[in-house]
Parts: sequence; structure tokens; C-alpha cells
Amino acid sequence: MSGGPPRALPSTGPHSLLDMPHPLAGSSSEEAVGGDSTPSPDLLTARSFGDKDLILPNGGTPAGTSSPASSSSLLNRLQLDDDIDGETRDLFVTVDDPKKHVCTMETYITYRITTKSTRVEFDLPEYSVRRRYQDFDWLRNKLEESQPTHLIPPLPEKFVVKGVVDRFSEEFVETRRKALDKFLKRITDHPVLSFNEHFNVFLTAKDLNAYKKQGMALLTRVGESVKHVTGGYKLRSRPLEFAAIGDYLDTFALKLGTIDRIAQRIIKEEIEYLVELREYGPVYSTWSALEGELSEPLEGVSACIGNCSTALEELTDDMTEDFLPVLREYILYSDSMKSVLKKRDQVQAEYEAKLEAVALRKEDRPKVPADVEKCQDRMECFNADLKADMERWQSNKRQDFRQLLMGMADKNIQYYEKCLMAWESIIPLLQEKQEAK
Amino acid sequence: MEQAPPDAPRQLQPAPLEPLGLPDAGLQAAAGEGDEGAREEGPGDGTMTENNFWLKKIEISVSEAEKRTGRNAMNMQETYTAYLIETRSVDHTDGQSVLTDSLWRRYSEFELLRNYLLVYYPHVVVPPLPEKRAEFVWHKLSADNMDPDFVERRRIGLENFLLRVASHPILCRDKIFYLFLTQEGNWKETVNETGFQLKADSRLKALNATFRVKNPDKRFTELKHYSDELQSVISHLLRVRARVADRLYGVYKVHGNYGRVFSEWSAIEKEMGDGLQSAGHHMDVYASSIDDILEDEEHYADQLKEYLFYAEALRAVCRKHELMQYDLEMAAQDLASKKQQCEELATGTVRTFSLKGMTTKLFGQETPEQREARIKVLEEQINEGEQQLKSKNLEGREFVKNAWADIERFKEQKNHDLKEALISYAVMQISMCKKGIQVWTNAKECFSKM
Repeated sequence: MSGGPPRALPSTGPHSLLDMPHPLAGSSSEEAVGGDSTPSPDLLTARSFGDKDLILPNGGTPAGTSSPASSSSLLNRLQLDDDIDGETRDLFVTVDDPKKHVCTMETYITYRITTKSTRVEFDLPEYSVRRRYQDFDWLRNKLEESQPTHLIPPLPEKFVVKGVVDRFSEEFVETRRKALDKFLKRITDHPVLSFNEHFNVFLTAKDLNAYKKQGMALLTRVGESVKHVTGGYKLRSRPLEFAAIGDYLDTFALKLGTIDRIAQRIIKEEIEYLVELREYGPVYSTWSALEGELSEPLEGVSACIGNCSTALEELTDDMTEDFLPVLREYILYSDSMKSVLKKRDQVQAEYEAKLEAVALRKEDRPKVPADVEKCQDRMECFNADLKADMERWQSNKRQDFRQLLMGMADKNIQYYEKCLMAWESIIPLLQEKQEAK
Repeated sequence: MEQAPPDAPRQLQPAPLEPLGLPDAGLQAAAGEGDEGAREEGPGDGTMTENNFWLKKIEISVSEAEKRTGRNAMNMQETYTAYLIETRSVDHTDGQSVLTDSLWRRYSEFELLRNYLLVYYPHVVVPPLPEKRAEFVWHKLSADNMDPDFVERRRIGLENFLLRVASHPILCRDKIFYLFLTQEGNWKETVNETGFQLKADSRLKALNATFRVKNPDKRFTELKHYSDELQSVISHLLRVRARVADRLYGVYKVHGNYGRVFSEWSAIEKEMGDGLQSAGHHMDVYASSIDDILEDEEHYADQLKEYLFYAEALRAVCRKHELMQYDLEMAAQDLASKKQQCEELATGTVRTFSLKGMTTKLFGQETPEQREARIKVLEEQINEGEQQLKSKNLEGREFVKNAWADIERFKEQKNHDLKEALISYAVMQISMCKKGIQVWTNAKECFSKM
């Protein structure tokens, strides 16, 4: 791709969408800039990048409390936007406020997505929209389609067996909310994914369904080229570093699976222990009713065991709600990462096949034909994206697991501290000398 | 409870308080010293006064258990455990102890001793023996009598039994008990010679009395009710506790699996590896800590079991009262009917049905001489009956007084012991919680270094 403006590697730093050609963009370099990688013209012109009067794009509900943007505030936003330092955050997304919607056809939950940003890609400093799970699912699919060289974070599990799990229980909804929040935050932290147009629309559009329908029609060249790549090319051998990643992910997923099973088993045993404790405590009460001098001490022991039971219940609830879902997320994550690895293999295989074909033909020497070069670029971009994402993923994983396991240790410490307090407080009661009856 | 009012207070022999068996010069000398009232109750450590066979304070311990094989009554080989009982005499002045007696006994001999005590001291709440077979086990504990843990806990239980008997103001003066500790050979024969088995009340008789007694002392009725409830609630408690122990064991042991998987996982990690590995080690420590914790808890269960069995001893005293009371009621009833018969014969009126009356009607009136003879016999019987009633009354009252005194003593002991048991249980729980906090804090630190 000789023409066009000089470009940095796609995976570094925030860039305006217009500048960034898509790594898997179509066959000619001329088309690389502008056209293909951007959404429909309608949406484009609706955006005013900078100095025009504010035109609300067909979407975007401004947050209730913020005043309509004026030129001066727009200027402020521009100045902040100059800062390309990766450490400065200019996009904040939160998922909260789950609400149940009862319609004739179905009942479902929506979550409020609040976005605060100084980025130019956002017309308003703040947005607040409501989305349901299937919207998140849509977003993820779109991201996978449009950014196939990147690792897309996982969503919490889609299907729950009705009747076994209550989809509308507080615990389930809260667990899901946290996972959806994590999902969006991971995208937000990603230097490429956070600039994805679908992500932007997801955060800002008032009527997402309208956009979704539109999106069907404009299956972009991007989508085409992705399909194009998944032809039946067979890779001879994975380069060492990617083979290592593949092996790592295999073992990692295996170990996580084991940990998940162990954690589930522990919770199960703890629940059974809890059942017995709930019978055990009250027997001391029954005994207490028979006795005179021993009545208070026995009643005290009964209450103590009751407190320990409550503490144990809190522990098992916490572990179920906070620990297990995160483990499962990472298992899903590594699964989707493995498929990205496979796609990469495909890209490499195509390149190698084409290269071989050329080598056999001998006509086009010394110049390597354009399409083989394109394949090579495609592969190198993919490799670069993937490596960068892997590094980021490893670092995040380390943080996440440190936090997760410390959290598990904390919950257990708190459980024992509650029990300790209960037992220590009854010692004086037990030692008390009672007045002669 | 009062039936016939006593005539003059007669000091009649109540149920034997003094030990039966071979007289002993030492016994008489020792018994002569001091006064009856100065009985010292040890806090379970077997210290006693000089009022008995024991001229000095003594310490008793069941120090060893040994597997033995021998031939039983049917000349078949059997394996059993023998326990070494050591008695030490303690010098007042310098507290030094000297081994005075040491002999081996097996569980069946303990049982024999206890059965003897039950017969000769029915007004005493006789301390119970540790269980014959392991009950209320949770899965890890063996129900096998030969299991070393079971044997060890039984050893402690037997020692506790001896200490309880030795610190009981009445039981400690028993001769057979003394011989149990001092005379290895021939002891069984000595016990059997007392003929105590013959003196035992039959079960049937006792059961009969329980159902038919009309006016037992209310306190005993309440006590019997209490001991039934106590037995029921402690059984329930022990059963659930065993299940709780079982579940707790499961929780701890599964955590051990974390140790292995963290270790395997650490192998593929670069920076996270060390933290994971060392955390895994702490999980192993956590998992193995439960064994000692539950072993300690077994001692608590044993303390509860002792009082579970004590409930049975309480009931035995109540039953004895019911039996005596029933006996008394029957004697009074018998006396009343004889008096009535006499009166009828004297006055010639027949108010009650009697076989004699029937035959008289059928075969003709009896002669005045015959009637006189019968009246005389009846009068003699009535006299005897009145004497017996008086003595039974006194016996009954003595029994109630003595039994109730021992029951009060028992209640104090029970409240004290069970409070101590609850405290030690709470202390065990506290220790377990502290260990848990320690392990998880260590693990957390390892995780933080990941």
C-alpha cells in the first residue's frame, strides 16, 4: 500500500476513525482510506468533528442533568482531546440500575449504561441509555466481525436453564450486571476496540434496534473480507510464539476448569455443613429449656451457633456470586481467544499458499504480486494485533486473578472473624457465676 | 407420700450404707478415726480423707491399655484390652507420691464393680462407665473396639469413672471398690460372694411398680421426667454433632485440592507462579488441620456422653423410689384388708367378698372355735404387718432423704462439669477460628504477591 497518508500501526493509541485503515480492508490501497471502514454516509455527516454547531446525531440522549453543549465547552473538549498519553482516561462507562420490563410477549431486564467521555467521537460529554442482554450480545458479535484480529472480552453466559435459575432474582441480576460492566470496561480500556463505531452507537444510540436493522444492510467490505479469509487453507505449522500461546491457553483453561469444579464442590460441602448447623444450634435451645443454672449458657451456645450459621451462609453466597462467575468468564475468554488464534492461522496459511503458488509460477519475479503482498500485510497486522492484545490480556489477567483470589481469601477471613467474635463474646457468659437459685 | 403415720421414731436399718464383705482390721482402725461428717469431696482428682481405707490421699490413674488374648468361659480364644490401674499414695507434707498398687483390669470387671455398686447403693447416682461400643460415630472414626483412638478414649473414660467413685463421699468407702484397686487376683470371686446379684431388684418388678405406684414423691416423678428429656436431648445433640463433624471434615479436605491445582497452574505462569505455588501450600496446611480439630472435639462429645449415661443412673434412683413406694402401698393395702377381715369376723358382718365367706355359705357356718382361731391368726398378722409398715415407711423416708441429698450433690456436679465442657468447647471453636484466619491471611499474602 504505497499511497495514502503515513500511518502508524493500527494498534497503538487512540486515533480518529477516519485516519485508520482497516487491517483487512479490501483489495486496493486507494480504498483503504476513508470509505470502507466508516459507517454509512448518513451517520458520518451527522457528526460534527469540532467547530460546527452541535447537531445531535440520530440517537444520543443527553444525560438529564447536563446542559446543552455550547461552543466553549466543545473547545474545552478539544483541548483535552489533544492528550494522546495512554494513561489519561477519556472514556468512562458504567452499567447499573437493572430494571424489569413486563411486556405482553416477554419479560426482560434492562440495564442503564452511563458514558462519560471527552473524546471527539462523542458529541455529548455524557450519555445514558438502557440496554438489554441481547444488545450486548449483538455488540459482541459486531466486534468480533469488525475486529477479528483482536481479542474480544467474553459475555456472561447467555442461556440459563429456566426453572433451575431464577433469571429475575436479585442475585442473578446483580451477578450479570457486574459481568456486563466488566465487559464494557474491558472494551473501554482497549485502545482499538474502544473506538469501534458499533461500540460508540451501543453507548449512545437512543434506538439501537433501528441501527441494528440498518447494520444488516451494510454488511461492509470488512465483513466480506473476513469471510474471504476463512477459506479452507491448512496451516503447516504455527510459529513458535503462537504455538506457545495456544498451549498456554489450553492448559490455562484446563486448570481454571479444575478450580471451578473445586470451588463448586467446596460451596456444596459448605451448604451441607450449613444444613447440619441449622439443626445443631436449636438442640442447645431445647436443652436449655430443661435446665436451671445451665439455661443461659446453653441458650448462649445456641445463639452463637446461629451466628456462625449466618456467617457461613454469607460466605457461600459471596463465593457463588463473586467468585464462580469470574472463573467462568475467563474460561469463555480463553475459548474465544483460541478461535482468534485459529483465524490467525488461516490468514497465515492463505499467505503461505499464495506465496508458494507464486514461487512455482516463476513469471512475476522479481516483483511480488500485489495480492500476495496484501496477504503478507494482513498476516503481519494480525500477528501484531494479537501479540499486543495477548500482552495486555496477560497483564489484566494477572490483576484480575490477584484480585479474585485475594477476594476469596478475604471472604474466608471475614467468615472466621465473625465466628471468632461470636465465640469470644460468649465465654464471659459461660464463666459467669450464677446466684444460688 | 406419707401413708400410715409412724408410731415412735424407730431407728431402723435403712439400705446398707456400709460396705459389706470381709472385715479388715485396717478398716476398723481407719473408720474409727475422725468424724462421720468430715467427708472431703475432691474435684474429681481422687483426693480423699483418712476416713476410709485410705490412710493418705491417693491418686488413681488408668495409665495404659494393652491388647491381650486369652480363653473365655467357653474356652474359646478371644482378644480383649486390659487396662493398667495405678494407685499412688500422696504424702501430705511434701506432696511426693509413691506407687502403692498397680494391677490390670478389663472392661468387664469395671462393669461388675458398677453393677455391684448399683445394687448396694440404690440411693446414689452411680457414675457411669464409658460406652461399651462406639456410638455416634462420624465417618472417619472407627466403630471398632480395637481401634487405638477408641481404646485411648476409653482409657480416659475408665480413669474418669474411678475418680468419680473415689471422690464420692459414700462410694469411696466401699470395700469392694478398695479391693478393685488393690487386689488383682480373686477379686471377681469376692464380689460374687457378696451375693449382690440375688439382691438386685428384678426388672419386671421395677417395671410393674412404675406403672402401678399411686403416690410417689413428686420430686422423683419430675426428676424421672427430666432424666428422660435429658437423655433424649443429649442423644439428639450427639447425633447432629457427629453429622456436623462429618461435613466440616469434607469442607476442609476439598480445599486440599487447591494445593495441587495451584501447583500445576503455577508451572505455566511466569510472574504469578511463585504466589500461586506458596498459596497452594497453605491450602494443604488448611486441609490437614481438621484432623486435630475434630480429635479435640471428640473429648467434648465424651463429656456429653458421660452425662447422657448419668441420666440413666438418675432414672435408676427414681425407679428404686417407685419400687419402695409401691412396696409400701401394697403393704398398707394388705394391712388394711386384713384389718377389715378381722373386723368382719369379730362382728359377724360380711361386707366384702371372701372365699371363706363363700364356702361358709355353701358348706355351712364355721364353729365359734374355728372363728376364734382365725381371728387370732389375723391379729398376729396385723401386728406383724404394722411393724413391717412402720419399718418400710422409715426405710422409704430414709431413702428419700439420702437419695435427694445425693441428687442435689449430683446437680451441682453436673452444672459445674457441663459449664466447663461448654467453655472448653467454645475455646476449641475459638482456636479453630484463629487457625483459619491465620491460614487464609497467609494465603492472601501469597496471592497479593502474584
